[in-house]
Amino acid sequence: MIKLDNVTLSFGDQQLFERLSVEVPAGGRLLISGESGSGKTTLLRMLLGFVLPDRGMVYVDGEQLQVDNVWRLRRKMAYVSQEMQIGKGRVESFIKEIFRFKNNRRIEYQRDKVIALLEDFQLGSGTLDKDLEDLSGGELQRVAIIVTLLLNRQIYLLDEVTSALDQQLKEMIVNYFTNLDDKTLIISSHDKIWHDQGFPTIHLGNNGSST
Amino acid sequence: MEAAPDISILRLLAAFGLLIVPLALSFFLRLGFVRQLFISAGRMTGQLFLMGILLVYLFRWDNPWLNVAWVIVMMFFACFSAMVNSKLSFRHFFLPVFLAYFVGTGLILLFFNKVIVNYENIFTARLVVVVGGMLLGNSLNSTIIGISHYYEAIRKENKRYLYLLSLGANQQEALLPFFREALRAAMRPFIANMATMGIVSLPGMMTGQMLGGADPETAIKYQIAIVLAIFTALTISVALSIFFTSNRAFDDYGILKGSLFRR
Repeated sequence: MIKLDNVTLSFGDQQLFERLSVEVPAGGRLLISGESGSGKTTLLRMLLGFVLPDRGMVYVDGEQLQVDNVWRLRRKMAYVSQEMQIGKGRVESFIKEIFRFKNNRRIEYQRDKVIALLEDFQLGSGTLDKDLEDLSGGELQRVAIIVTLLLNRQIYLLDEVTSALDQQLKEMIVNYFTNLDDKTLIISSHDKIWHDQGFPTIHLGNNGSST
Repeated sequence: MEAAPDISILRLLAAFGLLIVPLALSFFLRLGFVRQLFISAGRMTGQLFLMGILLVYLFRWDNPWLNVAWVIVMMFFACFSAMVNSKLSFRHFFLPVFLAYFVGTGLILLFFNKVIVNYENIFTARLVVVVGGMLLGNSLNSTIIGISHYYEAIRKENKRYLYLLSLGANQQEALLPFFREALRAAMRPFIANMATMGIVSLPGMMTGQMLGGADPETAIKYQIAIVLAIFTALTISVALSIFFTSNRAFDDYGILKGSLFRR
């Protein structure tokens, strides 16, 4: 379960959220809509503990997010954003490095699984040998999605993941995620295709928010 | 070989005469340097004369404690001027960076004096003050390039850092790529510089020694040793200054503190 309980947050004199409350059950879906600057990304970052609310509480997987559990709770979530900054170097080296993190070591790096996913997402297996800096925004995003799928996280935070893609890829990605029945999906987007899915939606306005 | 002849004050004035060219250019092309040039050249002259007087006494007394104390004062100034030229806050960084300099250049200075030169009294002014000054002066730039690069990259590429955290990296793992790139940025210019040394430029220490009457062969050996010593000192200083500051630079959630940078 993910829950925001009476969350208030402002940056300087700009009030982003005022007493915002929302709850998503495990395996549920939530669509966050709103104009750019309305706080969609900030809301997702708040779930990851990268931004802390001024007041109110954030719950992830039923636990209240705090200093002593934030590092563990982050590992239940996968975050893919619109503008990825991944780094430098070969794609495969990057993926392998992620699997060398202490927390991920129990997951085995399987090259054929990676290649299968690359093909699912219409990237050739040659992508592994490319340099991260040579990938387009849309390609980077798909690599990032694949990485999160390999890590097999429970909760997906998808921040405008389809906005840079063409219609066919959009449909493919939306289908892929909506078929993951047991995962919790929190999606920020103003893409029509997500809105057509009939997910519970929260609309962030410029002053406070409403559901 | 005999030592270089002294330069009379009158002839030294001729050296100032050289400034007419850059001054004229600055004036006619309105480079906006005239005032700054006077101040800088004046400071350089004053500081070096003061240094000369100080060195006369440091050499005459040759007291180990005094020599070491002077190197520490130089480190303090080195650290200070490095911080002025960066965007990092004094409060957070001064002490750790100073400590990093102290350990980095201090260790290398001891190694140079004891192992390489193997002089009887390794705390003699000639070695401590002069070699210490060389090490500090030359490692200064790279150290500050390294540490600024590290923190500015984490700030600028914050999304990348947070992305790594979200992928399950612990803090050290998420910082490793930034550490790697900062060290590269600090070491790269020096590595490139080493490759052309002696062809494109005659390094200062060697020039000085030969003017002072040293045998070119000895001067070259000293130069090689000092270049290697500077390189290692700067590598240690950069690594340590990041190591000493990194722990306190992030909050418990792993987020970089905004107060690290000067406004």
